[in-house]
Amino acid sequence: MAPARKSSISTWSEQYDTIKREQLFRDPPSKRSAYPQLQEAIKPHVESWNYVFAENGQLQHGLRDIGTKTFLDGNGQEPGARRNRLQVRVRQVFLDKSTLPHTNKVEAVKREILPVECRERHVTYRGRFRGRLEYRINNGEWKETVRDFGHLPIMLRSNRCHLEGLSPKELVNRREETEELGGYFIVNGIEKLIRMLIVNRRNFPMAIIRPSFENRGPSYTKYGVTIRSVRPDQTSQTNVLHYLSDGNVTFRFSFRKNEYLIPVLMILKALAETNDREIFEGIVGPAGGKGLESKQFVTDRVELLLRTYKAYNIHSRTKTRAYLGNKFRVVLGVPEDLSDEEAGTEFLRKIVMPHLGSYDVTEANDADKFRMLLFMIRKLYALVEGECTVDNPDAVQNQEILLPGFLYGMLLKEQVDEWLGSIGLSLREWGRNNQWPSFTSPQFEKDFMAKVIRKTNENLGQKVDYFLSTGNLVSPSGLDLQQVSGFTVVAEKINFYRFISHFRMVHRGSFFAQLKTTTVRKLLPESWGFLCPVHTPDGSPCGLLNHLAHKCKISTSNADSTNVPALVAQLGVTSSSEATINDSVVVQLDGKILGFCSPKQAKTIGDTLRYWKVEGTHNVPLDLEIGYIPLSNGGQYPGVYMFSEAARMIRPVKYLPLEKQDMVGPFEQPFMSIACTEPEVASGDSTHVEYDVTNILSIVANQTPFSNFNQSPRNMYQCQMGKQTMGTPGTALKYRTDNKTYRLQTGQTPVVRTPKHNEYGLDNFPNGTNAVVAVISYTGYDMDDAMILNKSAHERGFGHGTIYKAKKIDLAEENKTGRNRSAVTTMFGFAPESIIKAQWRETLDDDGLPRVGIKVREGDAIAASYSVVKDPLTDEYVNKDGVTHIHRYKDSEEAFVEEIKLIGNESGNNDPCQAVSIRFRIPRSPVIGDKFSSRHGQKGVCSQKWPTIDMPFTESGMQPDVIINPHAFPSRMTIGMFVESLAGKSGALHGLAQDSTPFKFKDKEGETAVEYFGHQLKRAGYNYYGNEPMYSGITGEELAADIYVGVVYYQRLRHMVNDKYQVRTTGPVTPLTGQPIKGRAKGGGIRVGEMERDALLAHGTAFLLQDRLMNCSDYTKANICKKCGSFLSTQPSSGQYNRRREGGRVRCRRCSRKALPSDPKSECWEDRKGEKWYGGDEVTVVAVPGVLKYLDVELAAMGIRMNFKVGP
Amino acid sequence: MSREAYTPPSLNQNTAGAGSSQPNAFAIGGTGNTFEDTSKPVQYLCGDCDTKVTLKKGDPIRCKECGYRVLYKERTNRMIQFEAR
Repeated sequence: MAPARKSSISTWSEQYDTIKREQLFRDPPSKRSAYPQLQEAIKPHVESWNYVFAENGQLQHGLRDIGTKTFLDGNGQEPGARRNRLQVRVRQVFLDKSTLPHTNKVEAVKREILPVECRERHVTYRGRFRGRLEYRINNGEWKETVRDFGHLPIMLRSNRCHLEGLSPKELVNRREETEELGGYFIVNGIEKLIRMLIVNRRNFPMAIIRPSFENRGPSYTKYGVTIRSVRPDQTSQTNVLHYLSDGNVTFRFSFRKNEYLIPVLMILKALAETNDREIFEGIVGPAGGKGLESKQFVTDRVELLLRTYKAYNIHSRTKTRAYLGNKFRVVLGVPEDLSDEEAGTEFLRKIVMPHLGSYDVTEANDADKFRMLLFMIRKLYALVEGECTVDNPDAVQNQEILLPGFLYGMLLKEQVDEWLGSIGLSLREWGRNNQWPSFTSPQFEKDFMAKVIRKTNENLGQKVDYFLSTGNLVSPSGLDLQQVSGFTVVAEKINFYRFISHFRMVHRGSFFAQLKTTTVRKLLPESWGFLCPVHTPDGSPCGLLNHLAHKCKISTSNADSTNVPALVAQLGVTSSSEATINDSVVVQLDGKILGFCSPKQAKTIGDTLRYWKVEGTHNVPLDLEIGYIPLSNGGQYPGVYMFSEAARMIRPVKYLPLEKQDMVGPFEQPFMSIACTEPEVASGDSTHVEYDVTNILSIVANQTPFSNFNQSPRNMYQCQMGKQTMGTPGTALKYRTDNKTYRLQTGQTPVVRTPKHNEYGLDNFPNGTNAVVAVISYTGYDMDDAMILNKSAHERGFGHGTIYKAKKIDLAEENKTGRNRSAVTTMFGFAPESIIKAQWRETLDDDGLPRVGIKVREGDAIAASYSVVKDPLTDEYVNKDGVTHIHRYKDSEEAFVEEIKLIGNESGNNDPCQAVSIRFRIPRSPVIGDKFSSRHGQKGVCSQKWPTIDMPFTESGMQPDVIINPHAFPSRMTIGMFVESLAGKSGALHGLAQDSTPFKFKDKEGETAVEYFGHQLKRAGYNYYGNEPMYSGITGEELAADIYVGVVYYQRLRHMVNDKYQVRTTGPVTPLTGQPIKGRAKGGGIRVGEMERDALLAHGTAFLLQDRLMNCSDYTKANICKKCGSFLSTQPSSGQYNRRREGGRVRCRRCSRKALPSDPKSECWEDRKGEKWYGGDEVTVVAVPGVLKYLDVELAAMGIRMNFKVGP
Repeated sequence: MSREAYTPPSLNQNTAGAGSSQPNAFAIGGTGNTFEDTSKPVQYLCGDCDTKVTLKKGDPIRCKECGYRVLYKERTNRMIQFEAR
């Protein structure tokens, strides 16, 4: 115990550490968390969000990129008129911490709003968002004003949150969990997070083959090179080069959801003052250089490229820019007074590879863009020629993560941009209404703020709020993303596994979910160490929704790589390339070409830089990714590609030459030799070695004990079920208002667990119970994945759980339709003069709210309210109608009122209570039909609670808590469960926590798991193999076989019969057809479908069929005319003297004729109008399905008559 | 109501309630008694500082001590009785 006390609080043993945990619970640390790994896990979320408002962060870059917007006065109709210019720009934006609004004058000191209050009050945790707007007229002085942009949701524990950097102790004082991680938003009391999304790697030209490219137009081929160019503000612009079948190349981009195509040479000539020779040599190689003769393919095509461009007859950079500017000025929306050439420059700035300069673009930037474009053309020709292969966009090598904060910032930048643009529209409307006054006029000065700006929608926060609460992206540009919805998810706190998984989850994009091909879902070897191979759901999101390996980090800021170009230059690169890739390959840093060198030199550069970066010298950052792609025969396009920017996945491995930690990215990893374990290090080849074999697994996958013994799908199932377990969502449950929370009352720490269990602090959130499990076919009730629960175990609390449901009763929401929305129209309580039923008073107190602790059944009153009007004289609310409105408890399950929160408002006015939040507690002890599972994907349903006296017992008198059937094992091969059983048993006997790290045991004699635990069992006096003789609980006889008994950690899953059972005899029906409605919640039925019908038919159970399809469904008695065979022509006849039906007779109108005086009166009948008819009395009643009549009506409407032949 | 002031319902009344002859007798009697102390104002606890707050009809939801805007209703001190199964 001594070493444990000496070490810091964040180091954990693999044992229980009971005393330390107890101390942490009693006295939460006031310095830092005891679980730094947990903090590390959500870092990408918090840090990326912090970057948005940071000094020189995302939004500052974004504002510089937006720049100034220029508007002209006048209506532009008179030519030659001098027009005044108004320039506007947003200089700065501010986001405050969450506080009470200024209108609230009641509170003087405690003005901050903490996250817990937002949860309790079902509101959004948000801060005031403002911006400094600057404007000037005709190069005059800039005037500035601060505008209110509404409120922005704030990420918890970020740099705008009150919880930033707080210690566990301080967190507890603010009524949070000790290990509150943050990383999510609170929107209307619901915890929402933006999930991480996979996007293409930034600033890397990717060679792709996509057959759909051929549909772009005639002569388009499937070849292309695409680059996702990311600006400093993290917004991106994708540029694509298309190869045309004649050898030409076009440049494609999409802007504001429209696609545009430009000949690539036009871009080249616009970027730099150049000539055809320079372009030719830039693509092919210097004239007279080495290996030029072998590049016949490329030379031919470049020649054609240059020749076809001659047709445009545009020379010089100025003219090309003017040409481009002329074409794109409307699309870009540049001000009218900008020249075509300047518009062309603006086009190049915004569209063409903005990562090499998106604002304050210099000549050097344009030269970089020019060289990069030439390189892309080169790569495209190489791809077509077959010199290189395609880059797989589905491999993690060519991917990065779209971080939540960056997406938030991108959205915000666009909102600011749109708002600035909308000033133009508002100006126009103002001008039109006021006969186009000049911007220099005093009227403008007066109206600009009051009328023009005020007319714009300044509530930018609302848009972000909408984005977070729905996950839908409303954006004119689409943000260069492939989807418009599904960006946010609710951070469900079902248990801690579920919660933490949300933050480690990476989605491929909902666009790929509809794709019929399964290639995007494949598990590729490139993902090693970055994405967990086990932790992905099965079913429709399989392979699209991945989870990060637990050691995988994501860079959230750009590493400082300013020194790298100089170092590369020192190591020897030339500015121009030879003709073939055998002679010179490219060296790039973040999509900028640093130069060219020979392949041999490239390796030297890669190796040297790596040595320096791990060493920490020469100002090479550790986060730098040095992707050295060697020369190969038709493999990936060679070169040295370095990446230092944010949003990359990186992971730690040991660099062997220095025995130090190196951070490795997915781009470089496939070309490195990383040994998995120390013995696998190959001399002369391996440069790195993994720190730990389990580093490839996610946090949840790491918790599966002995997962290397299991068949792999079983581990996947466990990752699924671990997240559906009824566990412990947290300790601050009292202050949470989730719609539904599950809680396990009797959680235990597992005997068999990995050291990661302690490191991630999972003992704070127990997820199951250790159970004595016997593998035996005992009663017959354990067939087919059923399990038998020991009734006494159940009575001792095994798997006992609770569901908490929160219900908000908001009176203000109920009468939103009124004119004056903010006025109070309803209050809680009983109307003074109304009749109050004793039945209501059983559950309700005087305040109209239920008593805390009382049991409520379906239909019981849970709140009373009455309508009020404010008496202007006395300033009191008075009731006029004397009616009390009762809110009822609607669930069929009995519940206890656990807690009632009265929700106040932040505006500080004296309105009475308008909303309450009631929490109900539903106890759920295990019943037959509830689902349980071990941690090995072995789920089962409790089929019987067997009396303990009838359970089998061992020689020591032990009786199992759970019996499972041996048939659960042969086909599933979950050997890990056997080992866990063994380990659990010996651990329980010796009082040890057993280390169940996968890959710990070797497959060698003397080092196997069975031997290790078998030996422990033997020392405890038990059978070496874990079998024990058992005796029948019923007869007392010894069972013929020895039974495998051990201790297994069992989880109770949240799927319970009480939420699932569905029965009905009669009930609600669809009005149209008369058939039962669908849905359990509404008391509907279960469909007897075609297959079920076939089964009933095949069994010959005609009566059953009749019962299901007719009697219990839409059985109807219908009148039909035997003569004409129609339902629709029958009608009841009226009596002669009264409107009542004459003897209940129904006649057929179609078969009768107008009565003649000669007709016998007894055979005549009268319709409702009093007209007399004769005949049509062959009507009879038949039993038909209700839909048949409906079908008849529908067909009749189409002019089709159904004729039924009614037999005798 | 303090613990001392509370008197359990008399035994014979209880058995009468449990007996099937008058299933509702006890319930009505029980609620009948509750009407007597309706004049008692309902107490609430501040969600932040845990002080007792007494609200009258129409009062705004605010802690008198710390100004916190969420109040928790106190657990009822009336006997709650149900079959524990």
